[in-house]
Amino acid sequence: MHTESDEELVKRIASGDRLAMKVLFSRHQVRVYRFVLRLVRDEALAEDVISDVFMDLWRQADRFEARASVATWLIAIARNKAWSLLRKRRDAELDEDYASAIEDESDGPEVVLQKQDKGLAIRACLERLSAEHREVIDLVYYHETSVEEVARIVGIPENTVKTRLFHARKKLGEMLKAAGIDRGWP
Amino acid sequence: MTDSIASDPKRRELEELLPFYANGRISEADKKRVETALASDGELAARLEIIRDDMAETVLLNESLGAPSHRALEKLMAGIEGAPRSAPLLARAKDSLGGGLLGWLGGLLAAQPPRRLAYASAAAIALIALQGVVLTGLALRDGAGFQTASAPGSQSSERYVLLSFAPEAKAGDIASFFKRFDASVVDGPRANGFFKVRVGDASLSTAQVDAIAARMKSESAIVSFVAPAP
Repeated sequence: MHTESDEELVKRIASGDRLAMKVLFSRHQVRVYRFVLRLVRDEALAEDVISDVFMDLWRQADRFEARASVATWLIAIARNKAWSLLRKRRDAELDEDYASAIEDESDGPEVVLQKQDKGLAIRACLERLSAEHREVIDLVYYHETSVEEVARIVGIPENTVKTRLFHARKKLGEMLKAAGIDRGWP
Repeated sequence: MTDSIASDPKRRELEELLPFYANGRISEADKKRVETALASDGELAARLEIIRDDMAETVLLNESLGAPSHRALEKLMAGIEGAPRSAPLLARAKDSLGGGLLGWLGGLLAAQPPRRLAYASAAAIALIALQGVVLTGLALRDGAGFQTASAPGSQSSERYVLLSFAPEAKAGDIASFFKRFDASVVDGPRANGFFKVRVGDASLSTAQVDAIAARMKSESAIVSFVAPAP
């Protein structure tokens, strides 16, 4: 059976097809939501962002050019909206709120280590990375994007993608080391 | 400790390709370069192991975030209903047809809100509905990889682990592994080589799933990574 591609759905959306819109939404909503949630750290806000992202798609579908995949296009729109929100609400304020929420709800990497679970400790450190570092780690490790796609989504040169990811990985290693897990690097 | 990779531009360049080697998004030429280097550079290979650990935990962390509620779709559809646009194809038809009967018809149709157009023909409605059924079915099958365990408003009735196979694992060993654990793949392989595997139904407790994952992990000749997944 023929599975309609994202690009075919976008063409249908461009002609005003609401059902195609629902299909594309159901196909991509979870990934886009998780990407945004990791940045804005607020579930209701993340849901508002994804509604806006797909609303933009509805309005601009006839302008879509297949230079990038639909998935990359959606993540790029979502990223712009998420960062615009982050800029409006001071990062520090958001991070402080979220950091205290994490402290309330879960153990820090040191406590986790005492419980002898390296995986949990890594996840605790992933939560504590800066938004810039979380973003590039998520894009490559979870969303499985290439160097070129990250460059397009984030709007930075390809070499900067590699350097930023290197520093994010290094920071993660340093946080783990401070928590008592030495993996030999950094 | 001195980072000998960072101080060697050639090795540093290869090291920065490792995350993309691990997620499978690398050119064939770069893949070969990385593999050649990995075969003789233990430090680089150790760095790759760290990346794979972090990648697995990043996947688990993201999978634990769940899915948006129905509110997101409802808000979107309300927005679409509230701000109907003229159908572009009809608008273009209007531009190109100009005057005459066809031009008048094109203009008339383009002036109608999409909702009214949708009611214009019973046949059109039937066609759209049929397409909707087919498309929705396809979407659920095609894009369900990230919704299976955490669809909004529903509790999963299955228990899963996330795993990757050891590079040297043989097909026959993998098949008997699945048989021994009465397990089945529900999603994957993803580009990074991970599979989502069903290990039982909701009657399994978290401790039991942990125990299954630990038993699977002990079979290191077959699997290289196992962790309970949401």
